[in-house]
Amino acid sequence: MITRRDFMVSGLTATAAGIVVPPVLAKGVYAATADGIHNDRVLVVLQLAGGNDGLNTVIPYADPVYMAARPTIGVAPDTVVPLSSTVGLNPALKNLKSMYDSGQVAIVQGVGYDNPTYSHFEGMYVWQHADPARRQTDGWLGSLLASELDTHGHPLTGCALGETTVPPEMSAPQATVSVISSGQMYDVAGSAQHRSAAPALYARTPGIYGVLFDSALSTAETGIAAVKQSASTYKPAVAYPTGMRTAGDTAANTLATSLQLTASMITTQPSVKVCHVVLGGFDTHQNETTRQDALLASVDAALGAFMQDIAAHGMAGRVVVMTWSEFGRRIGENGSKGTDHGAAAPVFIVGAPLHGGLYGEPPSLTSTIDNGNLRYTVDFRSVYQTVIRDWLQGDSTSVLGASFPELPLF
Amino acid sequence: MNLTVSRLSRRQVLALGAVGAAGAAGAGTGVFFLLPKHGAAGPPLSAAGSDGAWPSPLGSARGLAAHLLRRAGFGYTDAELEAAAAMRYSDLVESVTAQQPEDLPAVASPAGYRDVIVAWQRHMATTASQYPDRVAVFWHGVLTSDFRSAAQQPVVLQQLQTFRLLGRSDLRGLLRAITYDPLMIRYLDLQQSSAAEPNENYARELMELFTLGPGSYTETDVREGARIFSGIRAVLVDPSGTPARLPSPQGLSAQQRVTQIVQLIAQGYSYKGMLVPRLHDSGSKTYLKHTGNIDPEQAIDILLAQDACAAHITRRALVHFCTPSPSASLIASVAGQFRRSRYDITTLMRAIFTSEDFTAATQYRSLVRAPVDYTVAAMRALNRPQLAAAAASAGTAMGQLLYDPPNVGGWPANGAWIASSTWLARLNFAAQATARPLGLPSPSTAQHSQLDGVVGADTRAVYRAAATDADRWYAVLSSPEFQLK
Repeated sequence: MITRRDFMVSGLTATAAGIVVPPVLAKGVYAATADGIHNDRVLVVLQLAGGNDGLNTVIPYADPVYMAARPTIGVAPDTVVPLSSTVGLNPALKNLKSMYDSGQVAIVQGVGYDNPTYSHFEGMYVWQHADPARRQTDGWLGSLLASELDTHGHPLTGCALGETTVPPEMSAPQATVSVISSGQMYDVAGSAQHRSAAPALYARTPGIYGVLFDSALSTAETGIAAVKQSASTYKPAVAYPTGMRTAGDTAANTLATSLQLTASMITTQPSVKVCHVVLGGFDTHQNETTRQDALLASVDAALGAFMQDIAAHGMAGRVVVMTWSEFGRRIGENGSKGTDHGAAAPVFIVGAPLHGGLYGEPPSLTSTIDNGNLRYTVDFRSVYQTVIRDWLQGDSTSVLGASFPELPLF
Repeated sequence: MNLTVSRLSRRQVLALGAVGAAGAAGAGTGVFFLLPKHGAAGPPLSAAGSDGAWPSPLGSARGLAAHLLRRAGFGYTDAELEAAAAMRYSDLVESVTAQQPEDLPAVASPAGYRDVIVAWQRHMATTASQYPDRVAVFWHGVLTSDFRSAAQQPVVLQQLQTFRLLGRSDLRGLLRAITYDPLMIRYLDLQQSSAAEPNENYARELMELFTLGPGSYTETDVREGARIFSGIRAVLVDPSGTPARLPSPQGLSAQQRVTQIVQLIAQGYSYKGMLVPRLHDSGSKTYLKHTGNIDPEQAIDILLAQDACAAHITRRALVHFCTPSPSASLIASVAGQFRRSRYDITTLMRAIFTSEDFTAATQYRSLVRAPVDYTVAAMRALNRPQLAAAAASAGTAMGQLLYDPPNVGGWPANGAWIASSTWLARLNFAAQATARPLGLPSPSTAQHSQLDGVVGADTRAVYRAAATDADRWYAVLSSPEFQLK
């Protein structure tokens, strides 16, 4: 009988024979041994896809240029929730404000990079690969998992929750990532025969994709068992919101569903270390106010419930959430009561372990770049480095390729 | 070295891989079962699995025919394979690439894009002419759009018909059509682009993703391109082609307005992309080193004259149809034929299907079936087109619902489809597809026809342990062999 390792070995021979599929061949086999306790310091990365409008999220309400540039979509200064004499939060962010007041929210202002791209595709690539030159092929979290956090390849160390495919920032040839779209669907459906057949079909698959196939199934097997165990032991301590704004809202709060799944995994599975969740819809070219308010309210409600749930499970000191979006938006509103693609924007980092407050300089509304876009004040890799080194206790140099000024968040 | 240890860390595996390859050679011998059909001798194998690769049956007419049918179409029944295997390979390639698209079945609500996708996948599972739809899926992945931009207007159907009808003709015609395609006009913001406020979105992606690839143009070309493509609008026209005068939208809700437009479409109205002179910038532009009052058609000609264009499209086609990592020499050779033919797409596809790379033993099972390939191949193997709605739903969990690509880069390929959740979704679709035993075809020849008789030990064992035809089909459809092409 041939083992998986034999195929791994012979797979490498096949490479020499001419077919080159690097991510496939470099992918290894999961080792069940040496599973460490990872959930002592957990990072949850929340992607706000589409380019969240930073200026209507953390609002420079005291700057007259702000309302002048946004006569119809600007948030009226008297409704802004002040954080300082110059900036305040969008009123939809009620839970974030109360967490901010208890020192659990750090807001890094003006995060970006040189020569920003205004394309979603390129912007996401830059953030996902921590590389403004867009030459890196490994995602920064994938690279971190493989080189620092998950050298034994436990399938649950990196989890993408509420998603169907591996998010690019977690993708790296040697990173094993569990992608769990929903607790209910993450199972082998059908009869007992199906349940035994599925893993048996993927034990030692030949060919250039063999190891990748088999490791997808063995990752799923481990994950299925974990999800079942979580489902039987995890009890949410709070009611997660169902609608985007209110329980009766017909638009579902999909982020809350993803974050509840995340909480169930973090609180029951010691192997979980890095989680990824995503909410889309932030590309507000038209009628921005209605759309962004609903999205921010949905983030606020979901995140508020999640942090409370985590705290009620006694894990407040072990979980940190970081948001990102591919870009902020143009300072001036467009002709459709919306905003076009822009540059620098704030990043939120949330959790009891950090020192809350405002970090970084708010970007100037007058000293701009590229016809009305914000000039960044903090390189996004400074945020990554701070999180990698000071929270996850990893080496950031191998992931980022250079060193950046750190922020005193932890 | 103890080879019975089955669980190792990735580091150990990789370290062993570097030093242990020679030691393990030969370990795979005997793993593959070449299943003869009805007791006859099976096709000759190029290798007996000793190097960990699938042994290739591409030296036989039958193996090669199945290989082509999986890649130039989606799947096949036993009878379709028999007919193809009886032809000379070069004749088979000519016959496949000459296929004309069959009419799509009527779609109940063309504005409901999901109905369109389900109807299209059902058609893929039944048509005798799969190639035009396979090529349409390819172009949808390259010149991509997203159903959300349709805003409930029946323009998804219109675009996929363009790909089905023009996808086999010539690249110039296809690029002209897509530039004026109502869904594309909305997806990449041409609808908002005017001389006064040019929008760069289409101009950028046309060069970066649709024709040249990064590095072959400057930011100035992007800005000038935005001026060239300014003023293109999707306009509702009446059956005679004249822009329609709609009653004022005042007092109508968004939904009532959609209903109104759907009714007009049913009466023969349609959306048509056109250049609106008063919104178009007719000044002088400098685009890819050409200067003048360049219009969209001239810009497309300029793009087609760039060396990077044929290579870029050829590379995308090779990754989709031939090999996950095409060599520079293969790209150059096929791109040369493509360009010399004045971008004739049939010439491109013929060059790919008849290349030595396409038929090489190393390319056997070198591509991963995309979710749509997988579900359509399963529907065809089982003769169950009624699974189309289930296939569309399952496709989402597998990572591919047509017209809902992850981003403007279109569909990924091969290894990118493989993840824990997506593989469970594939297996669970196989369970769903075989759940009703009544009317299932016999699986007795499936390993031979669907899996070429080249079956790994695991699949063979699971198939033999299965007690019912449904479980035997589950083994075939869930197997690693069936996920590859």
